[in-house]
Amino acid sequence: MLNAALYKKEFFGSLRLLAVFGAILTLYITMIIRMYDPEMAQALAQFEQLMPELMSAVGMTGVNDSLMDFMISYLYGMLLLVFPMVYTILRANALVAKYVDRGSMALLLASPVRRTTVALTQLSVLVTGITALTAYCTLLEMVTAHICFPGELAVGQLLRLNGGLWCLQLCIGGFCFLCSCLFGDARYSAALGAGVPCLMYVLQMLANMGGKLEGFRYATVFTLFQPQRLAQGNWRAGLYALVLLTAAVLLFAAAAAVFRRRDLHI
Amino acid sequence: MSMIGISHLTRDFGGGKGVFDLSLEIEKGEAFGFLGPNGAGKTTTIRHLMGFIRAQGGTCSIGGRDCWKDADTIQKTLGYIPGEIAFFEEMSGNAYLAFLRSYRGMKDEGRTSELLERFELQAGVRIKKMSKGMKQKLGIVAAFMHDPDTLILDEPTSGLDPLMQNRFVELVREEKARGKTILLSSHMFEEVERTCDRIGMIRGGRLAALDSAQALRARHVKTYVVTLASEQEARAFAEDFGGRWPLEDARQVEVTARQSLEEIFMHYYGGGPSC
Repeated sequence: MLNAALYKKEFFGSLRLLAVFGAILTLYITMIIRMYDPEMAQALAQFEQLMPELMSAVGMTGVNDSLMDFMISYLYGMLLLVFPMVYTILRANALVAKYVDRGSMALLLASPVRRTTVALTQLSVLVTGITALTAYCTLLEMVTAHICFPGELAVGQLLRLNGGLWCLQLCIGGFCFLCSCLFGDARYSAALGAGVPCLMYVLQMLANMGGKLEGFRYATVFTLFQPQRLAQGNWRAGLYALVLLTAAVLLFAAAAAVFRRRDLHI
Repeated sequence: MSMIGISHLTRDFGGGKGVFDLSLEIEKGEAFGFLGPNGAGKTTTIRHLMGFIRAQGGTCSIGGRDCWKDADTIQKTLGYIPGEIAFFEEMSGNAYLAFLRSYRGMKDEGRTSELLERFELQAGVRIKKMSKGMKQKLGIVAAFMHDPDTLILDEPTSGLDPLMQNRFVELVREEKARGKTILLSSHMFEEVERTCDRIGMIRGGRLAALDSAQALRARHVKTYVVTLASEQEARAFAEDFGGRWPLEDARQVEVTARQSLEEIFMHYYGGGPSC
């Protein structure tokens, strides 16, 4: 089902981008976890009082009693949503649409390898990247928390939380990959594959501001990722994560089916 | 049974572009020249044969298998040079060939080193830094290294200098002698005339003429015997104009004139611009 040579080529092709995003996330995660200290929390709470809309838009709200709450507020409102999402958008577009657009897909298909195999191999490279990024963040959070605040972070909570995050990123990845398989022009693939997730994130920000805008939460997939509840072990939040995972798998299947059937003018 | 069969292939892109009711049979061991101006439908036909696009009407088969449904099986024994090759630019030539071998599931080097030597290609360079000619050579090596039975070559000598064009023609002739089936698309009459048994001409997506290369040559290559004043003059003339000398009479030189492709097209398409 998968082609080892192609997987290897594309995996190594992903490393540079993974390293860049890994470095950015390292910077933010270590910085923000180190910032956890009651006095600093007060300062941020003051920010929240000064500009409540802005702070709530990026999810930086709530009582920051525990380290977990603090991390959820300051990492899972924007940073850990947006950076892996950008990685996914870039990579998904490069794995299929770019090759079709440039014509190098012809080299891959002028070989005794099924189209489905090509699509699934490229997809597995994308999933590997998303998984690696999520796993790296998890590990880094645990290590940083352990060094700075030993015993403060509940590992079980963190794993549940990041499991949910992984499902969310896979779902976004599935959508981007479907776009990548759908269009022969990398510009359209990029426009739709990046446009829709970004729009959904903006809607999420608006919904977070509350009031009348809260209705927007029904129009964005980010609603299904509920960090606070996931950490608490709420079954409904877990179910939402499962919904995200199911959606991801369906999108993967659709992408492979589309790629197998479509005309490729390469 | 024919090796490559195209039967009533139709693909309408609108605006008169596409391929319309095209039928062709290419026998095993035959070299077939596919000649036509740019935009005539050569590449579209080839994309159908490669299984990249699905026919709206009609069928394409290679070795008795359907080109769309059994593309991956057909590709096991097929070599392809795309009309415009887009490589993975960041790889070196050698890395690309190695990748392709393992991607294709080849156990050994195949004909790689022999072909690299033949075309004098140093493939250690990054593809991005390669010249047009080097890239074309790399494409040729990639298409022939697994020693395929069927070859689909879309304007294979573009970017090659005359010396390398000759080497390529030699290679194609050798492969034909080894019983390979070859479809060579080109917009240059000389190229197909030198390698192919039969030539099909396509324009506006329709097959305009189908003839043996010999008959086409007889019709479009004119031979003159020129008699000059002296033997020395005849010799100098032969050198300057690439004529055949000496003939029986040492003062005579045989020169050939080829019609340009435009003129041939004019002949077949009956006036009007060829494109």
